Amino acid sequence: MALGPFSKQDHLQITTLGLEFAVSEILCVWAGFWADKKLGSFPWGVVAGAAVGFALGFYQILRAAKQMAQDNAKLKKAEQKDGRR
Amino acid sequence: MDVVEIISHHILDHDWGVILGGFRLPITTHTVTLFAVSLVLLFGLHWISLGRQSRTGRLLTTLTEEYVAFIRDGMVLPNMGEEGRRFLPYFCTLFLFVLFCALAGLIPNMKTATANISVTAALALCSGGLILYCGLKFHGFVGFLKGFVPSGTPGWLVPLLFPLEVLSLVIKVCVLAIRLFANMLSGHMVLICLLLIIFIVGQMHIAAGAGAFLPAMALELFMTCLELLVAFLQAYVFTLLTSIFAGSVIHTH
Repeated sequence: MALGPFSKQDHLQITTLGLEFAVSEILCVWAGFWADKKLGSFPWGVVAGAAVGFALGFYQILRAAKQMAQDNAKLKKAEQKDGRR
Repeated sequence: MDVVEIISHHILDHDWGVILGGFRLPITTHTVTLFAVSLVLLFGLHWISLGRQSRTGRLLTTLTEEYVAFIRDGMVLPNMGEEGRRFLPYFCTLFLFVLFCALAGLIPNMKTATANISVTAALALCSGGLILYCGLKFHGFVGFLKGFVPSGTPGWLVPLLFPLEVLSLVIKVCVLAIRLFANMLSGHMVLICLLLIIFIVGQMHIAAGAGAFLPAMALELFMTCLELLVAFLQAYVFTLLTSIFAGSVIHTH
């Protein structure tokens, strides 16, 4: 089965990214909520947690995209060296 | 008919509340399933390892050899390299355990232990421990910490990126647990909901309930087959993702 420019591992990691985004958002908001309860600073902890979770989710997506692009470039280079397409 | 009660009864764990010598033993349907699966695997694999010369013995030995080769050549070596060879027993155990826990849930009167977040969290913690061990074993404490910062990162970005990378690894382990739990739980919820269609429609009119029987059972059969596929798929995904994460810690850029 043709997998396009991505390997089997890449496909699996792509399907994980959405869940990673959601989990990072939920965990950070929960941490913010917990901090709010301890410090009595509602809603600033939740807001900060949401912002950090969002940033973390995006960071993971960008890093995965960069990693896959690098791996793909390496693979193409190796294929060209071998004389294959 | 209380639909929520029926779904909860089907999905949730049931504590039998056994008290022994003043101590309350946490014997639940999920722990019984876990022990049953562990015993079946322990004795089954031990029996296979004896290398019986009967037709069944030879068949099971060949199947087990193929299985180990599949885990080694399809997951461990491509993702972790030669360094991963020593961890092969863990991956073989993990795959079989997750698979058998899911398959046990398809047997009537048994529960899917992996539809319990505590079970999947424990499995993910084991995988997280393996990832941590790989990082410390192959790079040392300082090298492992250095691996969290991508090469070529400007110095002023390090305090920002380091916590993000550490959190990212923690989240990856959490995702392992949540993915398996959600897939197993949702599959069983769909199965019970499809069965409930018959009774809900039947409450409107008995003939409507009888009419809904065949389509609902056809869907139920389809979903059970899908659950069978999901059992294998989730075991594969859990093991493969663990090997990918462990490999990414061993071969840092």
